[in-house]
Amino acid sequence: MKQLYPLLLLFATFVFSQTEGRLSGQAVDAKTGEPLPGVNILLVDTAIGQATDLSGRFELSGIPAGVYTLRASMVGYRSLQIRSIHIPAKPGARFTLALEPILIQEADVVVTAAKRRQSIQDSPNSVGVLTSRDLVQKNEIYLDKMLENASGVNFIGSQINIRGSSGYNYGAGTRVLMLIDGVPVLPGDSGDLKWDLVPATQVERVEIIKGAGSALYGSSALGGVVNIITKSATDRPLTHLRFSAGLYDKPSFPEWRWTDRLLHFDDMDVDHSRRIGKSQILLAAGRHQSTGYSQNGSYQRMNGSFKWFRPVSTHANLTLAANWEAGKRGTGLMWRSQRRALEVSPEAVGDHTHSDKLSVNAFHQWAARSTLAVKTRLSYFRNYWKNIFHDNITASTAQKFGLEIQGDYQRSAVHVLTFGTEETWDQVQSGLVGNHDQYGLSAYVQDERRLLRTLSLTLGGRYDYQHIDTGFRDEKFSPKAGLVWQAHSSISARFSSGKGFRAASMSERFSDSIYSGLRLAPNPELRSETAWSHEIGANIRLGTLMNLDIAGFSSDYWNLIEPVPDEAQNIQFINVTRARISGLETMAKFNPGIRGLTCDVSYTLMNPRDLSLNETLAYRPRRLLQTGLAYQFGPVELSVDYRYISRLDQVKLYPMDDRVAQKTVDLHIGFQWQAWHLSGHVYNLFNHNHTQMERTLMPIRHFVLTLRAAV
Amino acid sequence: MHRPGQAVHKANAWFLACFFVFFIRSMAATIAEFFLESAMRKGLFLITGLLALGGCSLDDGLQPTRSGFSGTIRFKNAWPAQTDQVLVVAATRFPPSAIADIVMSDPLPLHQDSVDYTLFTTPQLFAAVGVVWKEKNQPWDVTNLIGLYFDSDNLFNPGKVHVRNRDEMVENIDIEADLSKAKRKVTSGIEGMLRTRGEWPPASQSLLMVASKPILPFGLLDISLGQPIEAPFDSSRFFLNLQPGTYRLVGALLIEKGADIGLSSVVGLYYKKAGDLFPGAITIASDTTIIRGVEIHIDFNKRPFAG
Repeated sequence: MKQLYPLLLLFATFVFSQTEGRLSGQAVDAKTGEPLPGVNILLVDTAIGQATDLSGRFELSGIPAGVYTLRASMVGYRSLQIRSIHIPAKPGARFTLALEPILIQEADVVVTAAKRRQSIQDSPNSVGVLTSRDLVQKNEIYLDKMLENASGVNFIGSQINIRGSSGYNYGAGTRVLMLIDGVPVLPGDSGDLKWDLVPATQVERVEIIKGAGSALYGSSALGGVVNIITKSATDRPLTHLRFSAGLYDKPSFPEWRWTDRLLHFDDMDVDHSRRIGKSQILLAAGRHQSTGYSQNGSYQRMNGSFKWFRPVSTHANLTLAANWEAGKRGTGLMWRSQRRALEVSPEAVGDHTHSDKLSVNAFHQWAARSTLAVKTRLSYFRNYWKNIFHDNITASTAQKFGLEIQGDYQRSAVHVLTFGTEETWDQVQSGLVGNHDQYGLSAYVQDERRLLRTLSLTLGGRYDYQHIDTGFRDEKFSPKAGLVWQAHSSISARFSSGKGFRAASMSERFSDSIYSGLRLAPNPELRSETAWSHEIGANIRLGTLMNLDIAGFSSDYWNLIEPVPDEAQNIQFINVTRARISGLETMAKFNPGIRGLTCDVSYTLMNPRDLSLNETLAYRPRRLLQTGLAYQFGPVELSVDYRYISRLDQVKLYPMDDRVAQKTVDLHIGFQWQAWHLSGHVYNLFNHNHTQMERTLMPIRHFVLTLRAAV
Repeated sequence: MHRPGQAVHKANAWFLACFFVFFIRSMAATIAEFFLESAMRKGLFLITGLLALGGCSLDDGLQPTRSGFSGTIRFKNAWPAQTDQVLVVAATRFPPSAIADIVMSDPLPLHQDSVDYTLFTTPQLFAAVGVVWKEKNQPWDVTNLIGLYFDSDNLFNPGKVHVRNRDEMVENIDIEADLSKAKRKVTSGIEGMLRTRGEWPPASQSLLMVASKPILPFGLLDISLGQPIEAPFDSSRFFLNLQPGTYRLVGALLIEKGADIGLSSVVGLYYKKAGDLFPGAITIASDTTIIRGVEIHIDFNKRPFAG
């Protein structure tokens, strides 16, 4: 294999700034010399670290005098460790750090699953990572489409399932928590995920933390957490451009042709980043529009992002970030009939929704001591929408204010304590759920220590208190425990057990509305649903041949909230289900021995049981298979992805409807020339027709051409 | 005589033989290692390919429904001003207890005397096919029937429609819809308690509160139906939503699995006082009148219309 990777050597250059206690440098691709954004830089056995910006640069400050080891890691590159770095450094010393691309990922990738940077190998939970390279290759603009290719993940509509966690509850609430740069982004009214708030072009990487995560993250982390880490501002001026245009093919059957128009879509994104004085800023804007492939499927969206970073002292820095999205999209609850699967009921033609979302976060990081980092996050999220439907017009504004203070205390090289407190205030004014205020207060602590040289233990817990203005109160304690055993340099085993909970969203509690003849009735006394999840897994790395991860998991659920029609056919959310989902998950990435060729396979086998009714739990598939084949020769890259999701055994609303497995093949081809990247994509190559949620046909075959540039 | 040259040749031969064996073994080991690794890689590659190809046994997936039933709806009486939609509903259970039990057609054209319709559906046995009226700004109420399909003279027993396969279109499912049976949204009705005595029949599914203006209804459409109350129970509260008017028959109807619905399905009636010969009449004066305290005693051994 040695001859396959002649460029495996690293050369490192660091800039040790003249200021005492500072360390800065630049990470580049060893093969191409391109700057590498998003490389995780960590001073081993300290709480000091950061990710490189878009120009690959980093600067660590407030480092007490001493001798350190620096670790640089990034998915898709071999990790680099530099020992014996003396602080304060020699004035004017200058090095460059080059990371070597690899086809098979090492385990030593840094993730933030535990609210602090740590090696993925040290995480007792399964963590999936999608990098900006994956995002470019798959070319999706919205993250939900991107995440469909992640192992153990499937979607039902816009609702994400991690190992079958969520099922489908009609867009009200989520059993997977979404964070943007560590900040929960769930609107107070609907409590659902807003995948369009940050376009994929602004994302550095996505971490998918599997299993109940309420012990650190609180409500909604019942089935897992999706942490979206956005790109950082750069040191030198850099502009990215992306133009994309596509066409939808004709449907497979003449009965489904609902228009003679050419159905198309286009996206335009631009971002610019540079240093101004001591500050680094990033500005991004985008416009995305589509006619949709189905009636009422059109949308027009605009988005903007702003990020500002400034060191405020040698020991502290401040980041201010804002994301905004506004648009109009057609709304169709379900198809007209299976005979006319791409049309909506005649009276619903023209139903649409206006939306406007804004999130603003301020993040202050202070290295109080070399062993103690204090992070303060202030956040604001506003979600406005207005439904203009044929039978009702409803609007809602939800505002969420948040404050979190977190400490990371490195007691010793083998002992880290993470602790913090979080406060949230949701304010909702809605035609759907009424006007309500909701307060949340929580405190958490997590203790990670190495018991033996090869054995690490994590213990933690979080207390959450919730109060709604109707007088409803709820409190939950969510503990967790985890073990990681490094059995061999290439084999690690892990075990984790944790509790999760989800407080009912306001739309589940208070919705009172009629849509398409169905009435939603309120239930203010809804209790939180809870879960215990357990996992045992192993990661095996066979050199450059293969990286294999195997996990067995089991999650028990209590008081799952489900919409149930009452005797008068009003649909009401109630606590009904006791359920268990157990299964096996395997992920393998391997190199078949042909230069430039890599294969990914992941397979998840689940047994979702509704223990209350002794039947299969609704809206959960039993099998998920994702395979990917990528081939790179010179400037050309070619990849094929195949996704299989088995037929849903059980659904709630329309069990008499036909249901089939989902089988999707996507084809991508790309060409890189200097700063330009041209790619062509065919999604749903074989035009397989299937639904995820009932009576909504998923996208038919479509073709996309994309041009990217970095200037 | 032993010559020194022979010994050298012999030594050379041994050396060459040993070298050859060593060379062959080394080559064999190298080739074996190469193939072992190569085979492993190729095996893994093959597994992925097979998994992908196996799953890739791609079909079209869902297809348009081409089966169903069709017929003509004939409307009688005037169209109510508050009409929002009228459509054909087929139910796998009658009365339907959940949205999952029903299939709906597209909305029918309004203000016509007669309309031809086609309802495309997957193969099913439908226990009833009816025409449902929807009022403006109100949710669907599948009990708001203005017409039912009957395949016999028994107007208490809806006709079954069986769509047997994906190519079958069952024809002549004709329905007479009486627009005067359309029920506006009112809050008026009766509320009270149902009490049972005796053994529930083994096939019992649910119990429905019913009310009829004539003391002997001619068919299901003369009856206002309540929501199904799941069997069995000893006692249960009920509320029956009713339009203003005088109801001379108020009672409870037992739904039994596999059994036809008829007058014999009535298992309990409302009497003003015990021992009365005729059922008690209840008058709903206005859209908001609620008559409370209506007690109905059900004795499964004594059905009012048995035989």
